[in-house]
Amino acid sequence: MYRGRMERDLKRWVDLGLLPQSSASAMLAEYDARESTFSVGRVLLALAALLLSASLLLLVAANWEALPRLVRVSGVVALIWLFHFLGAYFLGRGAKAVGSALLILGTMSFGAGIALVGQMYHLSGDAADAMLLWFAGACLSAAAFASAAVTTITACLAWAFLITLFDSGGLVSAVESYFWLVPVLAAIVLTLVRYTNAGRTRHLAYLLCVTWLGALYVDNPGLWLAISFCAAGLIAFLLASLPRSPLYGLACEAGSAPSFYSFAVAVIGLIALQSEAEGVLAEATAGVGLLAIALMGIGVVGARNGAVRYLGYAVFALEILYLAFETLGSILGTSGFFLISGMVVALVAWLVIRVERRFGRVGEASR
Amino acid sequence: MNAVLPGARWRNPLVAALAVAALQTAVLGYMIESRASILRNGKDVLLRSAPVDPRDLLRGDYVILTYDISRISPDIVAGGLPEETTRAVLFVRLREQADGFWGPVEASFGPLAQTTDSVVIRSLPFSYYPLLGAPPQTLQPNYGIERYYVPEGEGRVLETARDAHALSVNVRVNTDGRAQIRQVSVNGAQLYVEPLY
Repeated sequence: MYRGRMERDLKRWVDLGLLPQSSASAMLAEYDARESTFSVGRVLLALAALLLSASLLLLVAANWEALPRLVRVSGVVALIWLFHFLGAYFLGRGAKAVGSALLILGTMSFGAGIALVGQMYHLSGDAADAMLLWFAGACLSAAAFASAAVTTITACLAWAFLITLFDSGGLVSAVESYFWLVPVLAAIVLTLVRYTNAGRTRHLAYLLCVTWLGALYVDNPGLWLAISFCAAGLIAFLLASLPRSPLYGLACEAGSAPSFYSFAVAVIGLIALQSEAEGVLAEATAGVGLLAIALMGIGVVGARNGAVRYLGYAVFALEILYLAFETLGSILGTSGFFLISGMVVALVAWLVIRVERRFGRVGEASR
Repeated sequence: MNAVLPGARWRNPLVAALAVAALQTAVLGYMIESRASILRNGKDVLLRSAPVDPRDLLRGDYVILTYDISRISPDIVAGGLPEETTRAVLFVRLREQADGFWGPVEASFGPLAQTTDSVVIRSLPFSYYPLLGAPPQTLQPNYGIERYYVPEGEGRVLETARDAHALSVNVRVNTDGRAQIRQVSVNGAQLYVEPLY
């Protein structure tokens, strides 16, 4: 973990006389006091909340006739009130971890309530509706309490919505209006992430978007879609990465994610283009495009954004290999396979070393 | 990085708890009442339940029911079929037959007028794909009454009865055409009666 590495580095600097011991201790103390610091206890508490909620959901699913329905509904409603008020009480006293766990329980109880009503009245064919309703309830809670934990639950529910659509075959056709709701849910989650400072949860939302685009392409494979992925990804990448762009400030606050995911979408678009391409010229164009975009990604943000840099390296290396085998592979046979692989890997290694060294110098110069 | 959160200025946890719990309760209450009102005010309709593919019979703890009215012949569709792929709702007019069960007499992709001797039931929204050049196919709408949740382990009884064509389901349909299962019977003897709440 970052804390362990930092502690080692600080100790080294203290030993070298670069840093007084008092400053090093103060720095570590400041880090430990941060709210976002990873804490095993907090994670275990959230897991306990999820396990308890699972037991609640399973209890509802067992359709236990010994208790009349009205009693079961009242019980679930009572749990909703109990968990939210207990959560508020603990949050008010500054016990963030317990409060968050209770809020998770409250949101899961709401889901149990929706499932229970569905069971009571034998509702069918609207699992996606139920998911949306649950998502809305979770968003309400996340916004009202500014809770990062509940925001993570909303992200999971947005994923559950997509999976429900997969399950019910709702992705088969683009006329299903629910299909188009998925990016809207992702945008809502991203807004909540910003508002509640939920940090890493944003990756769930970005991955949801990328998965959704993938599903869109699998359902409607076509040249125009591949081109639009590529173009839109490229534009979004430049908007997020160029310091001159109006969105640069906003994107920087979200860390390296906006650049990385838009870069990934552009790459996916180009890979799709390559699979669509027929004929030597078209394939070569798509291949050169992939190489160019990999180099462009490394050149534009590689110095500041490790994720984009490594994706760029990977795309570049794989594409070179692919092109080498498409063009020369059949002529050279098995021994040539290793010959070319070796040469390509050596070439890429040379490039990576040059690029990394250059970025190192740029970093030093700017310091 | 973790300065005061934007919401912290107005945020009082107790107010938030009150708002969230009250709204979530209201949503559940609305869901319950919207279904209970169908049971309370809807018109009685007796439907024969038809067997489905046995592989689909039991999923978890509910039984999948299909009905004679789950297959609608395009011949009785008034006003024509949609010509483009669309998200459609089918309205079906049911009338009581000589044997006491209700059957479809007319269907439409737009609303149908209410009459005293018939009941109009509406399907859940579904995707309609017109087949170019082919004769129109039998429509297979769902009405939201295709599931029946049973206590753990009781699904088999219903399955056997349904496979023997002995299952009849009494539903109530409100003026909007929404249906709710009220009673399930095997060979005319009632097995489950749904309470309002």
